[in-house]
Amino acid sequence: MDIFNGLLLGFSTATTLSNFAYCFAGVLLGTAVGVLPGLGPIATISMLLPFTFGLPVDTALIMLAGIFYGSQYGGSTTAILMNLPGEASSVVTTLDGHQMAKQGKAGRALAAAAIGSFFAGTVGTLFIVIAAPLLASLALTFGPAEYFSLIVLGLITSMVLTSGSLLTAFGMALFGIILGMIGTDINSGAARFTFGSPYLLDGLDFVVVATGIFGLGDVLINLENERLRVVGVAPVSSLFPTAEDWRRMTGPILRGTGIGVLLGVLPGAGVLLASFSAYALEKKISKRPEEFGKGAIEGVAAPEAANNAAAQTCFIPMLTLGLPGTATMALMIGALVVQGVQPGPEILSQQPALFWGLVVSMWIGNLMLLFLNLPLVGMWAKLISVPYHFLFPMICVFMAIGVYSINNSVFDVYMMALFGVLGYFFKRMGAEPAPLILAMILGPMAEEYLRRTLLISHGDASVFFTSPLSLGTLVVAALLLLSIVSPRFRKVREEGLQEVD
Amino acid sequence: MKLSQDVLLGLFFVVFGVVSVSIAMSYPFGTSGRMGPGYFPVIISSLLVLTGLLVLFRAQLVQPEMLPAIRWKPLLLVPGAVVVFGLAVETLGLPLAILLLTILSATTSIKFHIGWKAVAGSLAFAALCSVIFIELLGLPIPIVGNWLRVLGF
Repeated sequence: MDIFNGLLLGFSTATTLSNFAYCFAGVLLGTAVGVLPGLGPIATISMLLPFTFGLPVDTALIMLAGIFYGSQYGGSTTAILMNLPGEASSVVTTLDGHQMAKQGKAGRALAAAAIGSFFAGTVGTLFIVIAAPLLASLALTFGPAEYFSLIVLGLITSMVLTSGSLLTAFGMALFGIILGMIGTDINSGAARFTFGSPYLLDGLDFVVVATGIFGLGDVLINLENERLRVVGVAPVSSLFPTAEDWRRMTGPILRGTGIGVLLGVLPGAGVLLASFSAYALEKKISKRPEEFGKGAIEGVAAPEAANNAAAQTCFIPMLTLGLPGTATMALMIGALVVQGVQPGPEILSQQPALFWGLVVSMWIGNLMLLFLNLPLVGMWAKLISVPYHFLFPMICVFMAIGVYSINNSVFDVYMMALFGVLGYFFKRMGAEPAPLILAMILGPMAEEYLRRTLLISHGDASVFFTSPLSLGTLVVAALLLLSIVSPRFRKVREEGLQEVD
Repeated sequence: MKLSQDVLLGLFFVVFGVVSVSIAMSYPFGTSGRMGPGYFPVIISSLLVLTGLLVLFRAQLVQPEMLPAIRWKPLLLVPGAVVVFGLAVETLGLPLAILLLTILSATTSIKFHIGWKAVAGSLAFAALCSVIFIELLGLPIPIVGNWLRVLGF
């Protein structure tokens, strides 16, 4: 199917009344939950997951995607108005965005973020339209060795790009792989790490672990700092950027979009890397670098554009290779599997309506966000200022219902409680859980591809170095690891990631 | 006793890794050409033990960061409330389970005080959630649990 017909199919799928309505509902709910301080996209998606159960697959996926970028937008609103980043990639937005808000320019900062994101989202979607079919057809030629090397690269990127030490991140990834191996081994049928419990035969549900660690774990952390929480929401003034603003933000939006589109495809933490690089680039080429950090509109527009472009294009490896690039994408895969869809290169040829409908609805969703976010910003500001002691019991209820309704299993609820406590301790021990989440989904895939590779080569591991694509991927992974040893890169990484915590 | 971050994390990795290696050893290991179900777990768990030891070693080298003081009340009560929700959702039904979870978790906040507003709010929230999730979204969760049904509700 060529692109034009694909887009037509996509429009006819995405604009049916129910899909359109659920896209809107997803975007609205995603933003509403995403603006709540201390709730990142992972917690938001897992809380809202039950709303997508019982829907047809394409509608559910469209709504999930709506929730996903709704929560991204909501996160930047909180970052600007409250100086509270919901996730690592909106940390950069707080630097200049909150400064602008303090100077009474909150409305203009929000507008810059929204316009930048919309433009980037449009370009990102176009990029998916062109690149995804190409990559999917390329992916059909990938053997198990190539897949294994790509997974290794993804895991290494996510370790290098988390705050804290590399060794800790490595340990977290290994821990995640072991968690992923719990359950029945698909190859031999042996039950592994189940302790004889029938509940563990199907493995730990990925969504349960993610909800526990990111959702409940964050609630526990926030409760600890309750005394320190200052609730100060900057007032929102005029929403219209001045002519001067337009002039200053056009370049950064274009450059940020370019960076985001390219880096989002990378396995690992592409979204995070995109917003940091875009900010650093603008600071470097700006004629007024001294204004950065003190409320420069470039410092809001560029990372927000990059962030959103990458958020779109990180769907590419997820949809075409079945490999999640970020922890959030790993959760999306988890949600898809609940729906009975296995992402991979076949999705495009076997379920074209699903693929193209999703792509078109991404664009529609971005358009909705532009018109939803700016006029409703007063309402979001009210939501942000709801005190936390009212919010967190409700958050707990939504998470508990969400986790229970995945398999109608009480066991999953207990597991979520357990992983909530673990998530709390990981935070306290300075161990970032993102590599764990990614490894939990990538680990079993790595095992399966390694097994297939070695089966074909009769136990000869040199195949990983004789296939050019696999070799290239491993070289990139090795360079990334080496770069962290170099003092110069180390310094940049520490500076860039230190504020994430 | 004050523990440093690295000591605790290293111990966690080592203990978890050792347990996991010893379990994985009981699965057939196979050969590289024919990996058994034990092959990958043994390698990964051994690497985890090694990583844990390195983290412990690092804790001896550099001035470690101390673990901050822990507020135990929310840390125990909130997951506890989630467990109570799990116990109650099928036996008492969703509205009561929500009510229990809301109230139990809310008590951990330093700003908690009981008043008619809080009670009315949590009642309304429990009712609203039950309507949304069971009536509108059609999730198969009981409104009245099996224990209460026995009593004739």
